[in-house]
Amino acid sequence: MTIKVKFFAYYRTLFGDKEKWIELEAEATAGRLLTILAETPAQLQELSSRHLVVMINGVNLSSRDGLETVLCDGDVLAVFPLMGGG
Amino acid sequence: MSGSAFGFFGRYLEIDLTAGGVRVRPLEAALVADYIGGRGLATRLLYDAVDAACDPLGPENVVAIAVSPLVGTNAPTAARGHMVFKSPLTGLLGTSNSGGGWGFSFKATGYDALVIKGRATEPVWIDITPDKVEILPAARLWGKDIHATTEELTAGFEAGRRPRVLCIGPAGEHLVRYAVVANDKNRVYGRGGPGAVWGSKNLKAVRVAGKEKIQIHDPERYQSGYDQAVYLMRQAPVTKRLLRELGTAGLVELINVIDMLPHRNFQDCVHLDEDLERVSGETIAKTILERAAGCYLCPIGCQRHTRIVRAGSPDQSGEGPEYETVVLMGPDCDIYDLEAITTANYRCNEFGLDTISFGGTVACAMELAEAGLLPADRTRGLDVRFGNAAVLEQLAVDTACRRGLGDLLAEGSYRLGERFGRPDLSMSVKRMEIPAYDPRASLTQALGYMTSPSGACHLRGGYAVSLAFFGGTREIPRFSLLQSPIAIRNMQNMGILQDSLGICRFTGYAFGSDPWSRMLSGVTGMDFSVARFEEIENRIAALERLFNSAAGATPADDVLPPRFADSTIVVAGEARAVTRDAQARMRQDYYQVRGWDAEGRPTAALIESLRIAPPAGRMS
Repeated sequence: MTIKVKFFAYYRTLFGDKEKWIELEAEATAGRLLTILAETPAQLQELSSRHLVVMINGVNLSSRDGLETVLCDGDVLAVFPLMGGG
Repeated sequence: MSGSAFGFFGRYLEIDLTAGGVRVRPLEAALVADYIGGRGLATRLLYDAVDAACDPLGPENVVAIAVSPLVGTNAPTAARGHMVFKSPLTGLLGTSNSGGGWGFSFKATGYDALVIKGRATEPVWIDITPDKVEILPAARLWGKDIHATTEELTAGFEAGRRPRVLCIGPAGEHLVRYAVVANDKNRVYGRGGPGAVWGSKNLKAVRVAGKEKIQIHDPERYQSGYDQAVYLMRQAPVTKRLLRELGTAGLVELINVIDMLPHRNFQDCVHLDEDLERVSGETIAKTILERAAGCYLCPIGCQRHTRIVRAGSPDQSGEGPEYETVVLMGPDCDIYDLEAITTANYRCNEFGLDTISFGGTVACAMELAEAGLLPADRTRGLDVRFGNAAVLEQLAVDTACRRGLGDLLAEGSYRLGERFGRPDLSMSVKRMEIPAYDPRASLTQALGYMTSPSGACHLRGGYAVSLAFFGGTREIPRFSLLQSPIAIRNMQNMGILQDSLGICRFTGYAFGSDPWSRMLSGVTGMDFSVARFEEIENRIAALERLFNSAAGATPADDVLPPRFADSTIVVAGEARAVTRDAQARMRQDYYQVRGWDAEGRPTAALIESLRIAPPAGRMS
């Protein structure tokens, strides 16, 4: 299945693009996807950080099953550091 | 000055513009213990000085400005001031906060607060130094914009000795209901129309300079809080780099990820990605940003100093646009033209308009025009329709000067809609325009807008956006009726604390109240434990509610406009609205959580337990 991953803020530079399409085996989890994304130590550090936010189809991953969330073909993930503003 | 001032000097200035008199009043330590400073202190001073039933644009209104015991130290971001007044936009409590550096310079004159009442017969400005306080004629300044006024009053001083200026522009002079008071040119006391209150008093500017210093009672304790704060600010991406790299407009694409970014006067939250990219923080950084900067003592650096270069025209430069401006003067008007938004923003800064209320009012006007309700003789040839970016800059200037259609826009979206029989097309609460987060995408944020003391506000109402959606350290569900009242109460209380401490909201992404507790206790030598903080927050919240009740507010004012109950938006694939039933349930639960009665009034028992004294005698 194909999962679209969108990056924001400095993750765009860190992961090299605004968005990537990742091919995964059926029933793969969000955790599995993150391990594939972490290709360098810097990327691994950010994806392990407590400031990481992962949204799946517009909801926070923790509202689903966290890293155990089973992905479906066509899911869109948004990955970025916690941001706030005014 | 004699004695040791541990955090506060124990005195404030009281200025009567009618009589032309200046008095120095003592500030009791008990008041600091119960209200701290900033928002808490200014609210208490206002409550004691003003009749809540007064005309906001009449001489009986009062403006109270206060800083906190942390202002004067090197605590991060501790240079902010807070201004409280009766609002000409809402008719209720006006309560506004600003960064820049005026607060710090004001404290250096040797006073803890400034209370201004009455009305000068001619335009005046006030000059405050430790040696003297003068009320001076401002005829030569009246009519000048904020930048020119500031430059004139700071001319001739060497850098490092330059005074700081708080002033209004043409919008305040023309009593625009959402006119701002600005410091450091572009940092504003933005919401609720304090600029119009100043204008109604013929007050143009307050200039401050001095070198008075407060002492720190327990330097080790202060330092432990300081060290912890600075360390944590370097860990959190928001305070470490995100806001410096992208500014608040870095939120544009992220708020769209959660389907919360308003479109066409909050008709929906649907945008094309490629349109939003044109007005994102990234695009600002790549195209018009010259440099980031911070307020005095701030390491976060969210300010955008920008420049627009156009072939064949002179450059334009200034600050911004911020997230709220980008969205409410942008996609909410169906406009995605960054240059048009930015030049209109420059005019708002120079002339002194709140960009949130201006944007929301323009969007309302556009919907009225589309419905055929704005007569041609009112629009005077200006093509006021969704998507017409060319009209923004002209409307900003016309509104500030109350010219043509601008005279109607100057009244705000509610009065504009009401005039043409459609107040329901004003996206506002208590007549204050809603910020750039659709409440249908978060019940918690909806409740925040409903219950903010100042009208719909993400700063006084509680900022539920990040916490609800982006996880972080506290997960608060977006659509929980049960949890929203306590969650928003806690967020509002944190805001009350930050506003009373004179520090910036953004520090809240890095740490909570413990470092502030150590810094404040260390500076003052007084007991400011985290538990005492909670009591103080509840006291200030109750006091604000008491003022609003006295000014005529009822539970019928704690509601959203009909659009948010009657029309849905799609959030993560589901249709969402904030039904009247949901509003009623959350409202009642919120009153209960606050310890207020079913009519939203603090109970006698609560007032007693919080030791909220009745209003003291009026200023004589």
